[in-house]
Amino acid sequence: MRALCWNGVNDLRVETVPDPEIVNPHDVILRVTLSTTCGSDLHFIDGYLPTMKAGDIIGHEFMGVVEDVGRDVKKVKKGDRVVVPSFIVCGNCWYCEHNLYSLCDNTNPKPEYQQVAFGQPTAGIYGYTHAFGGYAGAHAQYVRVPYADNDCFLVPEGLRDEQVIFLSDAAPTGYMGAEFCDIQPGATIAVWGAGGVGMMATRSAYLMGAERVIVVDRFPERLAMARKFVGAETVDYSQVESVVDTLREMTGGRGPDACIDAVGMEAHGTGPGHAYDRAKQALHLHSDRGQALREAILSCRKGGTLSVLGVYGLMDKFPLGAIINKGLTLRTAQQHGQKYVPRLLEHVVKGELDPSFLATHRFPLEDSPRGYEIFKKKEDGCVRAVFTA
Amino acid sequence: MRMSRTEALRDFDLQEAPSQEAPPSGRWSQAASALLAGTLVSLGLRRRSLGGTVVALASGALLYKGIQSRRHTPPLPARARGHAPPSDEASRAHATEVERTLTVGRPAEVLYRLWREPDTLGRIMGHFADVKSMSADDWHWKLHGPLGRELEWDSRVVEERAPEFLRWEAAANSTLASQGWVRFRPAPGNWGTEVTLHLSFSPPGGAFAEAVMKRLRGIPALQTVKALRRFKSLAETGEIPTLHHNPTARASAD
Repeated sequence: MRALCWNGVNDLRVETVPDPEIVNPHDVILRVTLSTTCGSDLHFIDGYLPTMKAGDIIGHEFMGVVEDVGRDVKKVKKGDRVVVPSFIVCGNCWYCEHNLYSLCDNTNPKPEYQQVAFGQPTAGIYGYTHAFGGYAGAHAQYVRVPYADNDCFLVPEGLRDEQVIFLSDAAPTGYMGAEFCDIQPGATIAVWGAGGVGMMATRSAYLMGAERVIVVDRFPERLAMARKFVGAETVDYSQVESVVDTLREMTGGRGPDACIDAVGMEAHGTGPGHAYDRAKQALHLHSDRGQALREAILSCRKGGTLSVLGVYGLMDKFPLGAIINKGLTLRTAQQHGQKYVPRLLEHVVKGELDPSFLATHRFPLEDSPRGYEIFKKKEDGCVRAVFTA
Repeated sequence: MRMSRTEALRDFDLQEAPSQEAPPSGRWSQAASALLAGTLVSLGLRRRSLGGTVVALASGALLYKGIQSRRHTPPLPARARGHAPPSDEASRAHATEVERTLTVGRPAEVLYRLWREPDTLGRIMGHFADVKSMSADDWHWKLHGPLGRELEWDSRVVEERAPEFLRWEAAANSTLASQGWVRFRPAPGNWGTEVTLHLSFSPPGGAFAEAVMKRLRGIPALQTVKALRRFKSLAETGEIPTLHHNPTARASAD
């Protein structure tokens, strides 16, 4: 089959690779119909996230049609059109039983990396480094989906692929981030990052009863989309002297009740903080630029909640003192998608959520390196590039 | 600074009781080496030159070392071992052993029964050894050893207290004196069972032993905990996560 492979830093190529096979009894093979770029892919494409191997197939946000079914698969049938969350989960361990799906104990074939880096290993992800299992990704014609009965969600009739694809990752991640904020009536939520996750978090916050959602970014076309498609108020941080001051003034001097970081380790910023991060990253003294997270911490009202969805490695100069002294609650996780996908599908069917506007660019799989290029450089107003296999 | 691991192994003396964990300075240096390695890997990978590749590879090795040396080597009281005759004591002084625990969400009875099934050990140890069940109490172990020699031995169950404890030992005439035990203890709340796996190896003296130890030293902590993880996945889900047949654009699947 054909698949998009990582061959080194900033070196993506579509290559011919072996087809996947049913290996374990709960596997299915999916014929991928649509897959999409994710900002978190840029971290290893740019070389900031280690444990990729040359030849790895990338891609973790996808949907498709079931082509072949393992002998112990009970619910999923050949021909089912399904969407699959990015984290592979067993559905049986303590973590899965407690809806903490991305912490699944049984799906990472290479637990040794995270055992050392994080103390305990988390679940595996498709196409996302060997620390997350080394599984082949989904920018391919076919992909093996383990534990299919837990990980495949049947797409209701009448929905287009573009309406559903983002329920694989961006939508559940954003929804979870909004849920972390424990939104009360009248709440104001600030969201850093007007990408797929940030816009899904914004829409989700409104669905949960937020009165105002303020999105912080610097790309005018993304801010315009956030206003148009998810009803956000917006702050262009490149046009204001201080995001913290701006948000404080917008909220009567209190600060937002909760702040969602949907940016992560490659945050762009302005001023000395960004220069410091960029210099250290360039010298490989650390891997993360944390401007967005620092602003979120300083902006949040006292006693408020920080919801961190961006992907980080090891960050220093972290203003923990502000968290402690302001009594902030820090909530984070990689997406527990299996908990949210059924609820999100209901929202889509009812017309309350339509993430299809995120798919600004569409390419055949053969042109996916070009798709990543314009996605990375945010050319031509690109929010997400989607690929058809 | 802590000794390099090769030195540490060479000097490992059964009569001494080394500390259970690496001293803080050692742990920091390991964490630092892993961190540095991660940085160097990305630095190396960013330079698409031979030099860059070397940096990446070298730092990959450093990362591996950082990972590997996190194992702890608990003391093995010589007198408690029992399986090695006293006359062998001097020549079998270079022991390596490890003990790791993992919580599995099933009752001890179920886990004990699974452990005793003929193909279970072969499946969970498959990442570093071929283990074949010869009879209910006898296993044949095969490690692909150094110097083109395969390292094989037979082991037999010598102590059994179902469903709590099982201990096995290599036959007295084996090249490699080895023993292992597994213990199943109830975990608090609804967590299931705490499973502890203990493995120890002490090869004969001589150059071959040195080579064997080099081979074995990659096994202990991470391989032991990986065997437990594989056992856990088998017990909780009926399968073990794998990259078998995993499509890639390189020769290997993993």
